[in-house]
Amino acid sequence: MKMTKKANQLTETKRTTIAAYLFISPFFILFAIFGLFPMIFSFYLSFFRWDGLDPMTFNGLHNFRFIFSDPIFYSSIKNTFIIGLLGTLPQIIVSILIAFALNSALIRFRNTFRTLIFLPYITSIVAVAIIFGLVFNNQPFGFANYILSFFDAGPIRWSAEYWPVKFAIATMVFWRWVGYNTIIFLAGMQSISKELYEAAKIDGATIGQQLRLITLPMLKPIVMFVVFTSTIGSLQLFTEPLIFLGRGLREEGITVVAYLWRDAFVYNTFGTASAAAIVLFVIIITLTAINLGLSNLIGRSKRKVS
Amino acid sequence: MSKLLKLTALMVLAILFLVACNGGNGNDASGEDVDDPETTSETIGDGDVELVFWEFGNTGYDKLIEEYVADNPHISINLQNSDMNDVHDNLFTSVSSGSGAPDIAMVEEAQIERYRNAEDAFNNLYDLGAESVVDNYLDWVFQNGESADGSFLFGLPTDIGPTVMFYRTDVFEEAGFDSSPEAVSELVSTWEDFESVAREINEETGKLMADAGELVFNARRDQATQQYFNEDDELIIDDHPQIREAYDYVANLFDEELVGDIPLWTPEWFAGMEEGTYATMLAPAWMQGQIKDNSPEEGVWSITTMPEGAGNWGGSYLTVPSESEHAEEAYQFIEWLTAPEQQLKAFLGYGLFPSSPQVYEMPEFMDYEDEYFGGIATAQVFSEAAQQVIPVYKGRLYYPVDEELKQAIDNISAGDDRDEEWEAAIQRIERILQR
Amino acid sequence: MSTKEVGEGKFSVKKFFVYFVLVGGALVSLFPFYYMFVMATRLNREINTVPPPFTPGTHLVENFQKVTDNIDFFGAMGNSLYVATTVTVGTLFLCSLAGYAFAKLPFKGKKVFFVMILVTMMVPPQLGLIPQYYIITALGWLNDFKAIIVPGLINAFGIFWMRQYIAEGVPYEIVEAAKIDGCSNFRIYWNVVVPMILPAFATLGIIVFMHVWNDFLWPLVVLRDPAVHTLQVALRALNDARQMDYGMIMSGTFWATVPLIFVFLMFNRLFIQSLSEGAVK
Repeated sequence: MKMTKKANQLTETKRTTIAAYLFISPFFILFAIFGLFPMIFSFYLSFFRWDGLDPMTFNGLHNFRFIFSDPIFYSSIKNTFIIGLLGTLPQIIVSILIAFALNSALIRFRNTFRTLIFLPYITSIVAVAIIFGLVFNNQPFGFANYILSFFDAGPIRWSAEYWPVKFAIATMVFWRWVGYNTIIFLAGMQSISKELYEAAKIDGATIGQQLRLITLPMLKPIVMFVVFTSTIGSLQLFTEPLIFLGRGLREEGITVVAYLWRDAFVYNTFGTASAAAIVLFVIIITLTAINLGLSNLIGRSKRKVS
Repeated sequence: MSKLLKLTALMVLAILFLVACNGGNGNDASGEDVDDPETTSETIGDGDVELVFWEFGNTGYDKLIEEYVADNPHISINLQNSDMNDVHDNLFTSVSSGSGAPDIAMVEEAQIERYRNAEDAFNNLYDLGAESVVDNYLDWVFQNGESADGSFLFGLPTDIGPTVMFYRTDVFEEAGFDSSPEAVSELVSTWEDFESVAREINEETGKLMADAGELVFNARRDQATQQYFNEDDELIIDDHPQIREAYDYVANLFDEELVGDIPLWTPEWFAGMEEGTYATMLAPAWMQGQIKDNSPEEGVWSITTMPEGAGNWGGSYLTVPSESEHAEEAYQFIEWLTAPEQQLKAFLGYGLFPSSPQVYEMPEFMDYEDEYFGGIATAQVFSEAAQQVIPVYKGRLYYPVDEELKQAIDNISAGDDRDEEWEAAIQRIERILQR
Repeated sequence: MSTKEVGEGKFSVKKFFVYFVLVGGALVSLFPFYYMFVMATRLNREINTVPPPFTPGTHLVENFQKVTDNIDFFGAMGNSLYVATTVTVGTLFLCSLAGYAFAKLPFKGKKVFFVMILVTMMVPPQLGLIPQYYIITALGWLNDFKAIIVPGLINAFGIFWMRQYIAEGVPYEIVEAAKIDGCSNFRIYWNVVVPMILPAFATLGIIVFMHVWNDFLWPLVVLRDPAVHTLQVALRALNDARQMDYGMIMSGTFWATVPLIFVFLMFNRLFIQSLSEGAVK
């Protein structure tokens, strides 16, 4: 009896392994066809000079040497981090709070609010560009400048000054993605058992305590997920700076992906664009590793305390 | 609550449906649409040789094509209309990877610079017989479609965008000037005049002479005999004074606050057309559509020649990518489409300004008057400008370089130092060239 | 929805504050969308004024007629619907399957495979355009929906999301119990896991559907023939070379977005259904 069960288990493990491989294989097969070649191609291109039309010519490390000597490339890295921090960190906090509110029975019209909060994700980028162009207009009649005028602050050139550009783009990022993350947090909160809240309420926990002691700890995997994807997303920020700055992409607001996009499709220098892409890739990997390490550390220390 | 939402949903759907049916019926039954809409794509004719033709903008070519396929029954043409940038991006991707290009591709004047090095990707139209039609077009337009040494022809020109001075008659009158085109042309015949008139207008009316530095700079740039690159693609911007002069000229106007910093294509720029925020606009022929659309009152805007010459902004070429299996037929067709008679039709029907000087002599063209601009023969003003344009070599990176100068101009409009901004722009340009 | 839940109670300052913030946030979210509608009802000239108009005008039908005169709006909508639905269904299936494997099945090299998936997310996609186009032409998929659908099924984000959700949302004991009952791995996935992860499906479904529906960068490159244009690609053809009729463009854009609200509500229902089921559990 015992023996057969063990034998069954053995084949069981084998079968499970095969099933698992089967289940994950579609991604890897499709990626091998459509994703791997472009990746390798980019890597290859970074050692060549290519305008997209003429034959490629090998030029060693010139592309890397060039971007590392280009002050605008450094600006683009700095901008990416500043805008990413300004736009993403507050966004995650706010979307947790909104999701918490929308998840509780505290709120009526939840469906309506959910839909409304999600609208920015589906609003046409052209309309967004026009509205944000009006809000962050350089002229005194621009909405932001008009408000500033009440505080005797002079009109700001939102599209050209160092901090205002970043603030404007970060606002746009915040606006476009807060609803998206709210929806993700909401899904995470669904899997938290209602009984926990009931019990906490009986113990007399305030809403703040419920959020801090139940929602956040239970939501940790989803928070980590959002932090992870948002980090990558903000490091690959592209659409918002492009629509706010136009194809000129001033140094004050250019991001790394905007930089490499301009190299590739405006200057037609695919070599330097690929080199920049590889540098960005390395930055993202390093950061994610640190990120994961840190959150593991925090997770562990918390567990110890509790 | 969800009921309410469902109800709204149903209502919106119903509206959508009604609007849709309405749109369909209106088209078929009444046929009231005067300017017959052009849909995004249609295969015209049923000949065996199908030519795929990528175009952008509102050209009205579908009607001309109908004429053509009637006379050439073995040809059918699949006309695909798209956004201007998309057409160019798709052409670039196709050419770059070697497949997917059409038989005929419309390429904008500015974008043709991108393909200067890619002679392999296009048919040399000289090999297909373009030698015989050289005289059909203005020299400078034709040369722009050639390689630097003149041996390779990328495309045949369709329309052009000669620049003139649009001006507000009311503002000129308010400042005490005669506002007839002849008088204004006389009054503002040099760039010095432009500056002094700007000063007077500003004193009398408080209004700006021009919307932004960009169009003034473009106007002076286009009158330069040398611009950013020489024919060996070397940067010569600092080797001759003409571009720097244009730059300083704009900087002076900024210093005296005679020119605004209203960015082009923004709502406030369009609004300024109607409100008369600025007295002149140095712009190409096709800009009249924008002006009419945004400032509908007749007789307020008028047109005259620009000081010291003209320039060109816009216009297109028809190319035959080398991938085409029907290069001969494609060439025959574009030669026909860009011949003077067809250019006249495209002008009268859709306002495409002809690149062929023969058209300028045709009576229908010369008599073309525009009530909106006070009933003057606008076509003649534009054709005069078109003949004044001087050909200049631009080079593959012309527009990225131009973009950097525009950024410098934008900065000096906000009060930055002009020498520092010039230096910074030159440095940025040099880095682009190092890539 | 009538069950008493978290924080239910009578009026309080706090509650008022929460509503205040939510309503404010909702208005800020709504405004550009509303403005899309305003522009869809006005002429170009009316839009180009300072200050711009903030109330709807009278040209709603006229603007939309211009759209249908210029492009095959409903044909393109059908194409979009087809592509977005196919990609969404396919993605939900493949991602949850892989997510389940990563969350609950023990197998060799799991960590390595998972990290590989995460790494693919870190490659900036902008440069892949030309090589990807090359692959599509090599496969002969130019002007074929397959060019959108098949690469669209690659979704590292979705696998990651499903893994995260299944790892937390599906208790290990239930999977074990099903295993002891002799269910195959796929049966466990289909009969046990899928019903428990409906909120994750709804969320990913919303995101994928909206993304595919609104994407135009890639479809623009591979769908050239107007017969296969998706809505976003077709709408691009409304842009004239120099003269933009924003009234018409926004009309097309607005009506192209409206279906998304229904899709959202549909998924939202799935979400709420799963919520009440969750309460039973």
